[in-house]
Amino acid sequence: MKLIDANKLSDLASALAGAGYRVVAPIEDSGVVRLKEWTEGAAIRTDVIPVNSAKDFLFPPSEVIGHWDIDGDGFTPRDVRPDAPKTVLLAVRPCDAASLALLDTVFNWDYRDDFYNARRQAATVVPMVCTAADAQCFCTSVGGAPDAAASADAMLRSADGGAKFILEPLTDKGSALLGAAGDAVREGEATADPPAEVPRRFDVEAVTDWLSRNFESDLWVTLSLGCLGCGACAYACPTCHCFDMQDEATRRESVRLKNWDSCGFGLFTLHAGGHNPRPDQAARWRQRVMHKFAYIPERFNLLGCTGCGRCARLCGAGMSMSEVCQRIADETRKALTHAS
Amino acid sequence: MDLDRLRRDAAAVLRDGRAKMVIGFRDRAGDRVPAFITDPDGAGELVFDETCLANLAAYLRKAELKRFRPVAIVARPHVCRSLLLLAAEAQIQAADVLVLAVGDQEYHGVLDLAGAAALLNEKYAEIPHDPEVLKRIEEISALSPEERAAFWAEQFAKCTRCYACRAACPMCYCTRCIVEKNVPQWISTAAARHGNYAWNIIRAFHLAGRCTECGACEAACPQGIPLMLLNVSLARGVEEEFGVKAGYDAEAEPLVGSWSADDSEDFIR
Repeated sequence: MKLIDANKLSDLASALAGAGYRVVAPIEDSGVVRLKEWTEGAAIRTDVIPVNSAKDFLFPPSEVIGHWDIDGDGFTPRDVRPDAPKTVLLAVRPCDAASLALLDTVFNWDYRDDFYNARRQAATVVPMVCTAADAQCFCTSVGGAPDAAASADAMLRSADGGAKFILEPLTDKGSALLGAAGDAVREGEATADPPAEVPRRFDVEAVTDWLSRNFESDLWVTLSLGCLGCGACAYACPTCHCFDMQDEATRRESVRLKNWDSCGFGLFTLHAGGHNPRPDQAARWRQRVMHKFAYIPERFNLLGCTGCGRCARLCGAGMSMSEVCQRIADETRKALTHAS
Repeated sequence: MDLDRLRRDAAAVLRDGRAKMVIGFRDRAGDRVPAFITDPDGAGELVFDETCLANLAAYLRKAELKRFRPVAIVARPHVCRSLLLLAAEAQIQAADVLVLAVGDQEYHGVLDLAGAAALLNEKYAEIPHDPEVLKRIEEISALSPEERAAFWAEQFAKCTRCYACRAACPMCYCTRCIVEKNVPQWISTAAARHGNYAWNIIRAFHLAGRCTECGACEAACPQGIPLMLLNVSLARGVEEEFGVKAGYDAEAEPLVGSWSADDSEDFIR
């Protein structure tokens, strides 16, 4: 098997960068561990779940998708192509990789998004098996696992008590990556460490079932009391994929932008006439939960949540998707108890 | 901190109807998160410590919570200042809120806004600026303009425009924020250099003379942008230039929104 010493991940990053990959990895940056482009000398932190998800490199926060030069009354379109360098998403999490099934689907469902697809095709996905989980992790409640290999091109498995990683290629892209790794990877034997134990926190079918009957429920106000209406959860979420189109122009040129957007914002649904069909955070949180646990399952037979827990970890207002789902699952259980 | 007394008071104000809801903090697997308590029996879950950085006065702008007024808010001195400032800016009435006042070490009891003002002026009239932040401001002020620009460019490059800073701030209560002015778009909403500069600087200077230095915005920022460098810098400027510290008097005219015929500047007369 192919091995890397745990403290030599930077050598692997260096070899891959040398072979022409843009290496994206968890790196500490002024006190925050985030997935970002690796540069020589940056230490890779595998012990902390990064604040952002891998989606940032497939569907960036802001992207130019059109550009026109304006000349008097006329204009000339420029050829705008996706900025899609060959990229490895190194030591991301299985919950990052799990989101790709949904992103691949939603960006190719009714319209094929060339920008997403170009980046996706240029990406080699190398998740790392989680050997530790925190109180916000709930992948096992939404069909995932700390060692799930879904959408992975290769897996990094912690081995020999965290001293080494086993690099196991799973696809052609993964084999190509292994080929590019050169001397950073050596042949040897090691024993894989056990994956983290992530308790199952709720029954997701009970959640989806309750949602199908409770669009109108007083519980939405209670469940969303903490939410103050920012977009932090959506922007950290590996599956949230809503965007806004904006045109920005000067007298000489105009660019069309695809910017992240969030259903947590009031402006998201504000109509031109002034009416807002989602007037408060209760309605907006209902949308957030419904989209992930009712509409996406109904339309694509997938879940819109991979249980990464990023939203709860960073929410200053204490909102937590797993806590909300637990409360909803409890409602179903209560209803069943009353019926029997 | 006399947590038992805080819990007893919280239960008492709910029981005797002085408040319909208590907003405080609870423990969630080691994190301190906002708690919304309407049942006196639920007051036992309240906790408070130095990690309770959210400014719960921000909940006063939430439409869904208006029906729970009067609401009792667990408030440290910075948060009491926010409440007084909200009253000064005519955003809340004295009858809307009660304060469960917590200090650095002690619990001060149940206060109305007048009581909170008295407590602040008596015990917390001189809340020092965060010395660590002051030190960083000195360091950054000593840089050349190019170096300073590079520092802020690096900080603002992290901004995803999630507006967690705005959501966390009780003073950001505009029903339509400048970034939501989109007919036409006033400032770029793209998470890119131009718009990120515009957003972060506008946010900071809209809080000049209004920031109580509670630190909730910086604590809420997922990206770790040092927003308090801007906030404290402006607060200190306002203090030096105008002798104003926000949030000590619910009757005071807000600094931005008042003028004086004696102003030393000619243009205002």
